[in-house]
Amino acid sequence: MFLAELFRTATFRLTLAALAAMAGVMVMQFGLVYTQMEAVESRRSTELLRGEARLLAQMTPEHLEYVIRKRATDDLRLVISSAGLFDSSHALITGDLHAWPKGLVADGKPHNIEIYPEEGAAYPLRLLAETLPDGTILVLGRSFHLLAEQKLMLRHATVVAAIPTLLFALLLGMVLSRRALLRVKEMHEAIDLIMAGDIHERLPAGKERDDLERLAGSVNRMLDRLERLMDGMREVGNDIAHDLRTPLSRVRAKLERALTSGGEREALEGAVSRAVDNLDQCLGIITALLRIAELESSRRRAGFGTVNLNDLGADVVDLYEPIAETEGVALVMQSTAVPVCLFGDRHLLVELLVNLVDNAIKFTPEGGQVTVSVLRQAGSVRLAVTDTGIGIAPEEHGAVLSRFYRSDKSRHVPGSGLGLSLVSAIAHLHDATVQIEDGPEGRGTRFSIIFMLQHALKAPD
Amino acid sequence: MTEETELNTDMDSEGLVHLGQSGGVVLLIEDDSAIAEEIVGELMSHGFDVRHEETGDAGLTAALTGEAHVMVVDRLLPGMDGLTVIETVRQRGIRTPVLVLSALSAVDDRVTGLKAGGDDYLTKPFAMEELVARVEALLRRPDDTRSTKLRVGPLSMDLIERRVWREGREIELLPREFRLLEYLMRRPGQVLTRSMMLEDVWQYRFIPRTNLVDVHIGKLRRKVDAPGEDPLIRSIRGTGFLLRVPG
Repeated sequence: MFLAELFRTATFRLTLAALAAMAGVMVMQFGLVYTQMEAVESRRSTELLRGEARLLAQMTPEHLEYVIRKRATDDLRLVISSAGLFDSSHALITGDLHAWPKGLVADGKPHNIEIYPEEGAAYPLRLLAETLPDGTILVLGRSFHLLAEQKLMLRHATVVAAIPTLLFALLLGMVLSRRALLRVKEMHEAIDLIMAGDIHERLPAGKERDDLERLAGSVNRMLDRLERLMDGMREVGNDIAHDLRTPLSRVRAKLERALTSGGEREALEGAVSRAVDNLDQCLGIITALLRIAELESSRRRAGFGTVNLNDLGADVVDLYEPIAETEGVALVMQSTAVPVCLFGDRHLLVELLVNLVDNAIKFTPEGGQVTVSVLRQAGSVRLAVTDTGIGIAPEEHGAVLSRFYRSDKSRHVPGSGLGLSLVSAIAHLHDATVQIEDGPEGRGTRFSIIFMLQHALKAPD
Repeated sequence: MTEETELNTDMDSEGLVHLGQSGGVVLLIEDDSAIAEEIVGELMSHGFDVRHEETGDAGLTAALTGEAHVMVVDRLLPGMDGLTVIETVRQRGIRTPVLVLSALSAVDDRVTGLKAGGDDYLTKPFAMEELVARVEALLRRPDDTRSTKLRVGPLSMDLIERRVWREGREIELLPREFRLLEYLMRRPGQVLTRSMMLEDVWQYRFIPRTNLVDVHIGKLRRKVDAPGEDPLIRSIRGTGFLLRVPG
């Protein structure tokens, strides 16, 4: 079982591949040494044969004959395994070669020739024949037994060295694979735990020293992010449930009371109409959520066209002026001298601005001021709504754009809590960024939508 | 629409104009039987004759007879889709006004609905009063005559000079108030919902807060109906407003 599993690990397969490569290298090395050895020996024996032949050729014929017969010099005994003196018709005069070797030419060059002795097996010899001045032919031979011995030694050495080396490598591979396998198994177990619902579990990443640990570290960071997202979603889910439950329970209570009081027609009508109002609030929340989801998921720009921000601001101010007036808030428009146009969806941008202005008026006490301003900047266009209201604490600046966020100061003000999420989604669709900062002199809040210039069109002159 | 309408109308004591029994035939194409039942009941109680079809194909057949004065079509229908029905009807040259109903709230959904040939668009869920008001509005589209003067009861409006009088008294109006009053005077005696006004007067498709239109109407009302005068602008609870035509 373990072996089958082992074989499936990438490490073990890599080890096997390395092993095969190693064996290949060894075979190649062996082959090269083997052939080189043959070449070296061949060169050496040629030189030896030639040198000896040269020396012997200088002797007097009688002396030579004696030397050959007795094989009297040290050199002859050591390096020359066979010698013979033949006359010009290839008849043996003296020496241990019994007959003229078949195919030998007296050209002073070495020839490898098979020798057939009177008894025993044939054996190869490297032979050299030299015609002497008196017409006799000197034949010297050197056997290959030295080379054969060396080759044998090499073969033995190679086999003896290769087997333990390869076995050791295999063992090492198995151990390493097993270790890797154990680590992967740990990760598997961690992942299984996570899949089973334990979202806080993490992979063993150690100090992220190697690839596997770094991978585990990356996976862990991904899990952290996912966990945060899931927490966020759960929170939004809870918020939605809570925000829907409040008006729904009010509806229920109202209807129940109306039912049990069995009252007058007018009281019933009042209760039902208030119930309808509360249900409308619920539907408003659901509609807003669907719209935000739709805006966030789509990159549709079917409704995009040229929008003049000054006109847009003026329209919204015109729509909200009476409301601002009744709430005792001054609503002011600060437009630029030249039209500022950008590429966008007019209806959505109106919705964005209306949400900002509506909010600003809601949170500005009587006697305050809300300013809608359009500003051209280098590379961007800024649409801002500034109020002199209750302000937003700096630590809450990021959070107010998230769904259902209600600042502690605004708990008592009715609303879906989704207006700013909608603003953020619409801004995002226009590749614009939302900036929240304190108003001038630290009073109130300024919401800015900053459109990048690729969306802003050149003002028509 | 200042003097007479093509449809038979009669007025009740409060100046509310109702379409006569024979006046409006509504073709409703809606597959959700629960909603359809509500719509049929509501429309009938307002004096409409209603013909209800549940599928796109049956609806198309009914529409092609041309007997309906107004059509209410759900976007999502079994078989033939609502938009296809409208497109086919328009291709046959039938100009019957269409109100499109949709449960979708997609951003450019309305645009496609209107492009297909719809005249108005209503997203579910909606108040029944809203539906009725819109059906009535479709039946009595203001005659866009080129007349430069409008008259409703004691009110008269000069569209060229942008001036308004109530009997001998000139009413000073801001441009936005003038636009609102013009809208009302082109639809006298007709219930107009807040969202209809936002859409038609301001071209906004959503209601940011419920009392926004009320505040505008309030301002206008204070100028139109001076103390002691017979109030002309009436609030209809739960629905909207209307400009009375005093008998």
